[in-house]
Amino acid sequence: MPKSKQVENLGLDDDKYRFVDAESHIYRTRPGLDESVVREISQHKEEPAWMLEFRLKALSIYESKPMPAWGGDLSDLETTLKDIYFYVKPQDQTERSWSDVPDKIKTTFERLGIPEAEQKALAGVGAQYESEMVYHSLKEEWASQGVIFDSIEDGLKNHPELFREYFGTVIPIADNKFSALNSAVWSGGSFVYVPKGVNLEIPLQAYFRVNQEKMGQFERTLIIIEEGATAHYIEGCTAPVYSTDSFHSGVIEIVVKKDARFRYTTIQNWSNNMYNLVTQRAVVQANGTMEWLDGNLGSKLTMKYPSCYLMGQGAHGSIMSIAYAGTGQHQDTGGKVVHVAKNTTSSIISKSISKEDGRSSYRGLCKVHEGATGARSNVECDALLINETSRTDTYPYIEVDEKTATVGHEATVSKVGDEQLFYLKNRGLSEEEAMALIVRGFIEPIAKELPLEYAVELNRLIELEMEGSVG
Amino acid sequence: MTDQSKYHSWLNEKRSHAWSVYENTPMPTTKSEEWRYTDLTKLLSLEHLNLQMTAGSHLKAPSREHLSETINTSGRIQFADGLISSLQLTSDIKNRGVIVDSMQNPQHEKHQEIIQANLGTVLLPPESGKFQALNAARWADGVIIYVPENVHIEMPVRGKHHFTSDKSTRCSRTLIVAEEGSQISYVEEFQSADSENAMVSSTVEIIAHKNATVDFVSVQNLGRGTFFQADQKAVVHRDATINTLNVNLGSTVTRLDLKTQLAEPGATTKMLGLYFGDQNQHFDHNTSQDHLAPHTGSDLLYKGALDGDSRATFRGVIRVHSGAQQTDAYQTNRTLLLSDKAQANSLPNLEIEADDVKCSHGSTVGQLDQEIIFYLLNRGLSPQQAERLVVLGFLGDVLERLPKGAFRRVVNSVTDTLKQKLSHG
Repeated sequence: MPKSKQVENLGLDDDKYRFVDAESHIYRTRPGLDESVVREISQHKEEPAWMLEFRLKALSIYESKPMPAWGGDLSDLETTLKDIYFYVKPQDQTERSWSDVPDKIKTTFERLGIPEAEQKALAGVGAQYESEMVYHSLKEEWASQGVIFDSIEDGLKNHPELFREYFGTVIPIADNKFSALNSAVWSGGSFVYVPKGVNLEIPLQAYFRVNQEKMGQFERTLIIIEEGATAHYIEGCTAPVYSTDSFHSGVIEIVVKKDARFRYTTIQNWSNNMYNLVTQRAVVQANGTMEWLDGNLGSKLTMKYPSCYLMGQGAHGSIMSIAYAGTGQHQDTGGKVVHVAKNTTSSIISKSISKEDGRSSYRGLCKVHEGATGARSNVECDALLINETSRTDTYPYIEVDEKTATVGHEATVSKVGDEQLFYLKNRGLSEEEAMALIVRGFIEPIAKELPLEYAVELNRLIELEMEGSVG
Repeated sequence: MTDQSKYHSWLNEKRSHAWSVYENTPMPTTKSEEWRYTDLTKLLSLEHLNLQMTAGSHLKAPSREHLSETINTSGRIQFADGLISSLQLTSDIKNRGVIVDSMQNPQHEKHQEIIQANLGTVLLPPESGKFQALNAARWADGVIIYVPENVHIEMPVRGKHHFTSDKSTRCSRTLIVAEEGSQISYVEEFQSADSENAMVSSTVEIIAHKNATVDFVSVQNLGRGTFFQADQKAVVHRDATINTLNVNLGSTVTRLDLKTQLAEPGATTKMLGLYFGDQNQHFDHNTSQDHLAPHTGSDLLYKGALDGDSRATFRGVIRVHSGAQQTDAYQTNRTLLLSDKAQANSLPNLEIEADDVKCSHGSTVGQLDQEIIFYLLNRGLSPQQAERLVVLGFLGDVLERLPKGAFRRVVNSVTDTLKQKLSHG
């Protein structure tokens, strides 16, 4: 069977995410990065002096840190970054009402189905276009209970003390080269605060879109879930395909307090010329629960390892991830769990699919500090290989300094079995249907955790990607 | 020039090249991923080591004696501070054309030729690292074991290393070449008294040609204060098998780099490892299973127990190279923590570039199974007896995988040392 014929016909590359709007912005910095660019961004945002200082300090740390030599191939990134626009302002302010969003941007998001999603039971919706949140709204019933769901800029403006108390505390500037870069040029992202005991049953959603060519998007999100509160935040990411590479580097900081429960879901479907280098971390206090649900389907290279720092007794962290690497893609993803307190528990489940010359790598850390008595952690990685040229790697780091800890890691690599295919074909399925069914079954344990519309979307994407993969 | 002096000038050239590589290679630091968990400067003061070769090493030929056929050993080599002091072989070995000889002073021209054809050329060039260069420049004496086609030697050849002096670096070198359809086993043991600061470096190269089988066992029980640095490389050709067992019980710091290449279809390997740490012992095991051809198999099992404030790192990688279809590769690392201060790191890596493979790895770190301990206590055992029994069972699992008979002596002596270590804990 001709390779990928079906995929081309169905045109994943010009499916509903891949359209391009004409460039339009009211302001952008010149390409490249130096101190004046950082000052300009800060000035445009009318920031307090401490934030400018924070940014400048971050810039010098960014410049002093070498490019990571591990993970994916970053050899072209230095050159790419020279031409990138670090800040592109699409409009003047974040709108609270959908009708106030400029038509062109509105059309974009409507094509992506965003307001539609809002009408369906979401507690709040944010939409970021290029460097700024163009739209942010929260339903009144939640706002009246003290829930804050703002753009990060409005968070800084409207809740300066709360903001400053947590900002940069979960992920310090110097954590890694890209957290330093984000700290220098961050723009957009969400500020979420859920007060004590509030149970936000329905999700908040943020949508990230890059339209401008040679664009760098640096969203920064800060989420605080107070004692006993619960919430769920979903982010989706897309961009059109350009001939040049784009760059996305977010920093997501999360504080889950005592007895609180929080889930962060990402479905990343960036175009295949996007570098996606994201730092996501949660600190979890006593008996709190943090769950990362991470779907990485798009991008050229993703390096992303959602982390849980289990700081309070009985805290629990869970990371579930699916990675799909098609041709030209490298998904270097995984998770980190750090057990600091007693009786903390964690689990990482990672499933990856590599097709054609795609490469998926699991990279993870499980660290148990001395004194974290009774800590338990379990890691399971399963990799599915579709073609001869596909590649998968597993790079776990297990560091145990506590005698009473129980830590296990298992990984398996497999291909779709001929017997499985044979059986399903005998039941009347075409080879492609059989393949898609097997792959769906493979990701099902994680897909079933997604909100319904995302699960449907994920299955559809996987199905499309699997077309033409047999033979 | 005589053959002997030609051979020695060949050796000296290699040594001086390796020495220049050594001098130009920086000491590995924890900045390098492969040395991330072993900070040599914190653990030892290597700069005080005397790196000179043992004086007059190339002048003195070892004593050569006949070994009686009644004991279950085919050859016995005694090393003193890296030099061969005696070499005893059974008539079985001699009559069937097997070569077991000194690499510094080989007896025959043919032995020289075999060494020249194989030593360090393909397998571990000095350029592969600081210690590889050091060993290549400074090995005092080494042993060549060569088995001709279709010759099977049932009982193992044993090499026994004993080291005495402090503040010195002693390097040993082993080269094993098994021709088509042959079979051999070699057991090397390392012992020394406790010392203030010493280094023992061992480099082992093993080549198994088509259909050959080599079993290699290393038992390291060096004194405290020693840095044991071991490099082993095994290349397995078509339908051949190389099995290795590394037992590390002694020394203060142990660093093992074991690389096995499954080079041709049908090649297989079993890689076994066992370690027991107490006090401030530090173990760093670094392994690779490289599948370069289709229909190859590898199975690794490393198990250890850590007492006192000892620490162990296992880093192992299975690489299935592109085109190496129908590969079966497994890797398991299990570590028991017996004390509050013990620490274990485990990094089992997979890099898979072929789709039709069976590959998995597993790694666990944890304490003794409390249910079994509880059961044993109820049966009237003391807590010490119970712990001892469970640890011996846990580690004994590795020894049980050795072929029975030929390795009985190794199993007994390792078990005795383990019992000793456990009773001191």
